[in-house]
Amino acid sequence: MPEASLLTDEVRALVGRETRLGRVQVTPRAYRRAHEVYVGGAPARVPAEGEPVPGYVITGLESESEAPPFPELLPNSLLIANEWAFERPLRMGEWLEMVHRVTDVRERFGGRFGYSIDVLSETAFFDAEGRLVARSGRTMTQYSAAESGAGGVE
Amino acid sequence: MSVAPSLREGDELGPFELRPGLGQVIRYCALQWAFPPFFFDESAARAQGMPGTIVPGPLKVGLLYRAVEEWLGGRGWVRQVRAAHRRPDLVGRPIAIVGRVARVYAEDGAERADLELAIINEEGQPSVRGFAVVELAGAGER
Repeated sequence: MPEASLLTDEVRALVGRETRLGRVQVTPRAYRRAHEVYVGGAPARVPAEGEPVPGYVITGLESESEAPPFPELLPNSLLIANEWAFERPLRMGEWLEMVHRVTDVRERFGGRFGYSIDVLSETAFFDAEGRLVARSGRTMTQYSAAESGAGGVE
Repeated sequence: MSVAPSLREGDELGPFELRPGLGQVIRYCALQWAFPPFFFDESAARAQGMPGTIVPGPLKVGLLYRAVEEWLGGRGWVRQVRAAHRRPDLVGRPIAIVGRVARVYAEDGAERADLELAIINEEGQPSVRGFAVVELAGAGER
């Protein structure tokens, strides 16, 4: 465990900072690829323009951009939680604006990972009118495997 | 607002028995355009201290979503799904998704239900604790 907190003012200042990632469109290709991953095989039918599409399509949308990296404060990192949330179903053909944000950074003392730092972040998707449509969030924990004895990456 | 009787507290979901394989994991990596070797390369996974290649966590949240969607069967749509990853699942090994309706309620003019979910590995241990919110068809915007 470090002698001083790794959550310096500089690190804490990253919380709440928004990064615009650009626009992305819900396309038949994005739907087909996500369907192949989560359902398996090609879909029997692709939703028409304006029809709802399953939420798992969000995976393909997110990969159209790269969120800014968070500083590596400890040598190992692990995904401990993630979440999708929708204000309404995504619709085929719509354009969405993606905004990435670090929502919180927390220190943990003890437990499975020993001293560790949880970094909570999300990508929010807004429609053309600026209304929130969906969020994809994740919690990564940074830790030192050598000190905690915890193994495994997800 | 009256709550539709199509879902009741205590209703059970699953088990949905799955076996995420290497092909599915590689398709997921391609969808994300991210290829950490420990997802598909056994030696790379072992070098990281893992017992074998593992199923990516974000893929598992999608599997929860799919299970809930299939269980709903057109009765509504999935507003939220959340996964807390407790232990890795190995590629090619069986898992089961189970759940139950924890609460049915009216909110923001819509009829909704909270679901408690889990992914259970072949040893009977929960690898994921999950949560979902569904909105029943006919309520809210679609």
